[in-house]
Parts: sequence; C-alpha cells; structure tokens
Amino acid sequence: MKNPELHNETILEKILYDDDIVKKFLLATLIWAGAAFIFGLLAALQLAWWPMNMNLEWVTFGRLRPLHTNAAIFAFAGNAIFAGIYHSSQRLLKTRMFSDVLSRLHFWGWQLIIISAAITLPLGYSQSKEYAELEWPIDIAIAVIWVVFAVNFFGTIGKRRERHLYVAIWFYIATIITVAVLHIVNSIEIPVSFLQSYPVYAGIQDALVQWWYGHNAVAFFLTTPFLGLMYYYVPKAANRPVYSYQLSIIHFWSLVFIYIWAGPHHLLYTSLPEWAQTLGMVFSLMLWAPSWGGMINGLLTLRGAWHLLRTDPIIKFFVTALTFYGMATFEGPLLSIKSVSALGHYTDWIIGHVHAGALGWNGMLTFGMMYYLVPRLWKTKLYSEKLATNHFWIATLGILLYYISMVTAGITEGLMWRALTPEGRLVYPDFIETVVRVVPLYWVRALGGFLFIIGFFMMAYNLYKTIKAAPAEQSDTEAKVPIRHAVFAQPDTKEGHSKLEGMGTVFSVLAFLAIAVGSIIEIYPTLSLHKYITPTNLVEPYTPLELAGRDIYVSEGCYTCHSQQIRPIAAEVLRYGKASTIEESMYDHPFQWGSKRIGPDLARVGKKYPNLWHFQHMIDPRAVTPKSIMPSYSWMVEKDTDFITLRKKLSIMKYMGVPYDDDTVANADIKAQKEALAIAEDLKANGVNIAKLEKKQIVALIAYLQALGQKGKQP
Amino acid sequence: MKQDGLALFTDTHLTALGLMIFFGFFIGVLIWTSLKANKAIYKKMEQVPLIDDGEIS
Repeated sequence: MKNPELHNETILEKILYDDDIVKKFLLATLIWAGAAFIFGLLAALQLAWWPMNMNLEWVTFGRLRPLHTNAAIFAFAGNAIFAGIYHSSQRLLKTRMFSDVLSRLHFWGWQLIIISAAITLPLGYSQSKEYAELEWPIDIAIAVIWVVFAVNFFGTIGKRRERHLYVAIWFYIATIITVAVLHIVNSIEIPVSFLQSYPVYAGIQDALVQWWYGHNAVAFFLTTPFLGLMYYYVPKAANRPVYSYQLSIIHFWSLVFIYIWAGPHHLLYTSLPEWAQTLGMVFSLMLWAPSWGGMINGLLTLRGAWHLLRTDPIIKFFVTALTFYGMATFEGPLLSIKSVSALGHYTDWIIGHVHAGALGWNGMLTFGMMYYLVPRLWKTKLYSEKLATNHFWIATLGILLYYISMVTAGITEGLMWRALTPEGRLVYPDFIETVVRVVPLYWVRALGGFLFIIGFFMMAYNLYKTIKAAPAEQSDTEAKVPIRHAVFAQPDTKEGHSKLEGMGTVFSVLAFLAIAVGSIIEIYPTLSLHKYITPTNLVEPYTPLELAGRDIYVSEGCYTCHSQQIRPIAAEVLRYGKASTIEESMYDHPFQWGSKRIGPDLARVGKKYPNLWHFQHMIDPRAVTPKSIMPSYSWMVEKDTDFITLRKKLSIMKYMGVPYDDDTVANADIKAQKEALAIAEDLKANGVNIAKLEKKQIVALIAYLQALGQKGKQP
Repeated sequence: MKQDGLALFTDTHLTALGLMIFFGFFIGVLIWTSLKANKAIYKKMEQVPLIDDGEIS
C-alpha cells in the first residue's frame, strides 16, 4: 500500500536500511536457540534420570539450569528481540539506525556477554539470583552494552522521518528504559574477587529486589518487546491493520504501569511483609485486563483473514503465540492468588507456566518472525512451506506435552506435600515419595522438549536452505523516504495521545515514570530492614567456615532445587518446622529462599542429621536416600575450601552491616580452619578416611548446612 | 518520619484512596482515548506498518 502523504512529498531521498545487522542478530538467534534448547533438554533428562548429570561438576543440574535459563532469555530471546527491533524500527521510523558502529558494538558486545556467561556459569561463578546469576564484570558489560543499544535506538528516534511513533516503538522504549533500571538496581554488589561478589541487599530486601527484577525480566524482556514485535509483524503478515489502535494505547500504558508492581507474587506466604504480598497479588490480578486486551488486539487483527490460518505457516505461528500468551497471562494472575499460590508455589506447575510463555509465546512468535524475515532479507523464497508447517505442528505438540506434564506434576506435588491424615499427620512424610511420583512426568516433559527441538532443527534446515538459495550478491534494502526537514517543517496539528506520539523524549519520560511509581512504593520501605525486625528474634551471623560453605552452596546453584523458606502453612510447618522469620535471613547476601523444591526445604536442616549423613549424602545421595534424583558431588572431597579470601569476605560482610567483631574478621581463616578440623575429626571418628579432609569443600558445606535454622536464640 | 510513613501502609482508607486515584486516572485515560476527534488519527496511525515503508528493492 502506498502512503499518500509520503508520495505527495516532493523532497524524497534514497537511503539504505541496515539489513546486515538484522541478519547478524537473526543468525545469532538461531545458534543460541539451539544451545538454549539443548541445555534445557539435558536438564530435563537429568531430572528424569540422575546419571545424566554425568558426575561432571560443570554440567550438574545446579549449574546447567542457570545456563539454560540465561541462554533462553538473554541469548535466544535477546537476539530475537534485537533482530526484530533493528528491522522494524528502521522501517517504522523511516531511517537507517543512528550509528552502524553502535549497532555492531551492540551485536558483538552482546555475543561476548553470552560467551562469558557460557564459560562462567558451568565453572560455578554464580550469584545464585535467578536470571541474574552472572558475576559483576559481566553485569557491568551488560549495562554498558545496553546503554550502547539505548543510545543507538533513541538516536534513531531522534533522526526519524516519521513524526509519530507507532505502538511497536512505544513497547521498545519501555523495554529499553525498564531493563536498564531493573538490571542496574538488582546488580548493586560489592566485588570480593575478579569473579565473585556479594549483593548489597540481604534477606527480604534481596528477595524483594530480586523478584521485582525477576518478574519484570519476564515483563520487560519477554513480554513488552515481543508485544512490540507482535504489533508490527502480525499486521504485516496478515496485511491487516491492528484491530484497535485505541486499545493498543490502553494496553501499553496499563501494562507498563501495572506489571512493575507484581513481583512480590513470587514471595507469597514468605516472611516478606504482608502489605507487599497483598500489593503483588492485587496488581497481578489487575494484569488480566491489559494482557488479554493485548491478546485480543493481536488475534482480532486477523479479522477477515482467518483463512490464512489454514494456509500460511507464519500466521499459524503468530496465532498460536498469541494463544499461549493469553493462556500464560491468564494463569499467571491465577497463580498469584494466595490460596492458589499455596498449592502451586515451589512445584513444577510454575515450570509448566513459564514454558507455556517461553516456548509458546516467545518461541512461536520468534519462529514466525524468522520465517517472515529470512526470505525477505535474503531476497528469496522460503525453501519449504511444508517443512515450516510440519515444524509448527511438532513444536505445538511438544509444548502441549511439556505443559500438561508439568502442570500435572506440579498439582500432584502440591497435593502430596499438603496431604494430612485425619489425625493431623503428613500422609507422605518422606519427601522422596513425592519426587518419585512425578519422575514419569519428567520423562513426558523431556519428550515434549525433544519434539520442540526436532521442530527447531527443521526450521534451522529450512532457513539454511533458504539462505543458500538466495542470490550471491546481497545488499541492504534501498528505500525512498522524505527528508527529515520536510517531515518536521510543519507544526504538529494532532491532538490527544497522537501529539504525545510525536514527542519521543516526553513519551520516554512518561514511560519511565509509569514504571518508577510501583518500583519506589514497593522497594523503598524495605530498604529500612530494621523496621521489620523483632529484636528478640535476632540471629547470629555465620561463622567464617559456615560462610565459606555458603559460598560453595551459592556457587553450586543449590537454590535451583532447594528452598530455604518455610511458609506458615500447616503441612509445611509439620514437615520442616516453624515458619521462617525475617530475622533468619537478615544477614544473607544473597538470600537463598529459592523458588522450586525438587528436593526438600533446607531452612531448618541444621542439626537434623549427623555430619556423616551429610558427607554420605553429598558423595552419593542414594546411599542415604534411595531413589534420590540428586546429583553426586564427589568433587567436594577433592577440591579445597578457599580459606585465603575469608578475611576479605568477612570484612565486606561487616561493611554491609553483618555484626562481626574485629577479631573474627582479622582471624577469619584461622578460625575457619579450626572449625573445619573439628568437623573433620568427627567424620574421621565415624570412619571417613580422606587425607587432609579438613581442607576440603565438603567440610565447609557441612558446616553451613548444619548452621541452617540454628542461628537464632534458642528458647 | 519513615516509620510514620510505613505505618500508613496498613491504613485501609489511604490504600482505598490510592486505588480510587489510580482507577479514576484509568477511567480518565479511557475517556480521553475514546474522544471522537481521535478516530481519524487512529485510522491513519494503524496503517503505519502497512503503508509503503519506502522500500525500492
């Protein structure tokens, strides 16, 4: 369709859109998608059959799971977003990107960050904060590259030749601003060494900031940018304008305003103050409206073009993506209702919910976008539409198997954990019973993931053949656009929201304010942690050896399977002991409440078992818990504990307010070695015969585990 | 001062007032975006991704 206004212009000039950068991001998406999916499949198989951990520390579940999530979010989805944003923004703003140098710096910088993550996470360099595991040098690199992206993007808006910003651009603006805020605030940490740091936040502060970040990483990295892509590519593919532009305005503002408040729904029934939990729940419920508004707007864009659903694989992917978006955004608020959360939290239901969004929404939308973009950018035809259609069906089947198996597993776990006899005792007192029950469903999940990956490789082959058949000589797309002066020569006569769409800076400031309100109201009060602490419940800080053991716990990613937060729910108190308090994690930098119980909660595991039990359990979990699916941590009897840095670690903790006396800080390593000797002697007395046992990591870890729940004043 | 502020978080009248302000603002935006004068502009803006983006080749 021709733009009458544009063609009435007398002053047009030829420009080249930068297609090369879009192609680069598309190919990166393809490569990292393969890696993320395979890591995911391997992690799924490890839960179904523990020997898949291969007794290798680098691919053990605790380290592989963050690698999978980071690869899926930042490598696969990240590159997909950038490809779509660089392609659509140039066309919507009718200009080449602001700077080719910044575009390439963004591309190569981001790939370098991904490679750094792929190296450090398997090596155990992790902050153990979900989706924010990467250590401080990489955090800084992310901030720098994100600023490069922002400058390039806002520079492009600044030199645009289309006065008004289309809805897709608003979503990109909100994404860039909010991700920067989230990442910087959540990554404030003090370095201990080149690849280790402690967050400045502790306990409930850290929990709230982390889940404000974690939830909004979903909102502003996996939702808003993809909604922007949806608002551009769905109308393009269907050749229909968006169903309601007015609805898109309401969708945008209500979504960015409400989403930012919803983080505390990850912390329901924890020791987080009640008001914050309630805010999180109420705003999560409100999200139903804008989320479904967006989904309806996307789906109804196909009005009068539903026949395409039968024939066009791209439309199939887009419609399915929107359907999964609707389903996942219905389920999210549902799970945020406290009574539903009581059942679903810590279970595989959440894993199913997340993957309905990640595979169904982000995955399918990205696949549709790739099938749309690759033939157009390489100026050729798709190699095989039939193969694309087969990809669609096999991927859909895979997602359904994944989702159904995990929701079934999650509800099963939730019901088994809370089941009580008429006498008020637990029906399944041994946690392992509840694990064994869902292992068959882990196999079904792995099968679902496998089908999804088969589909992905079909797409990779299809796109490879498409690109191979493209003309050898590739050039950037040439476009005839009005010169900027001609576009902005006349004053903007538009009114209402459209006037705002002509003011990029004002629009961006308003978007920032929309996300700042909820962030400040929720986070600011908890920065004064001491207001919530009961002096009589104060706890002792960890001893030097316990802190060394805690660092090992953090490094191994134990939080991926074990929570440290007992909720005030009858069955939970019966199983684990009295509900966790704010004070018990007040010195925890970072907090380790976790979000999933593949194994039992550990908040009060201290002194529950003798040292020997822990020793045997870490070396071979099945020696003390038959049928356990936990990996063996045999390297912990070979690797030495890092005593050298303990003085520095304690001094940093002291600086952050942990009440260590000067003597403990100055002699941290000596004190830790003494503690280690005592535990090693105990183990030796019980038949463990390993040379220099007191130096080994296993001893420090045992010290930490034995301290859990034991630091409070005993009644 | 901060403690006083925090104490107000449990004041149901204040939280209800906050809700009313947010909801009132939302209704205001809803009416603002529904103004008849906007319809023609929406018609034009929704065409932005579909109209010729200047591509020659």
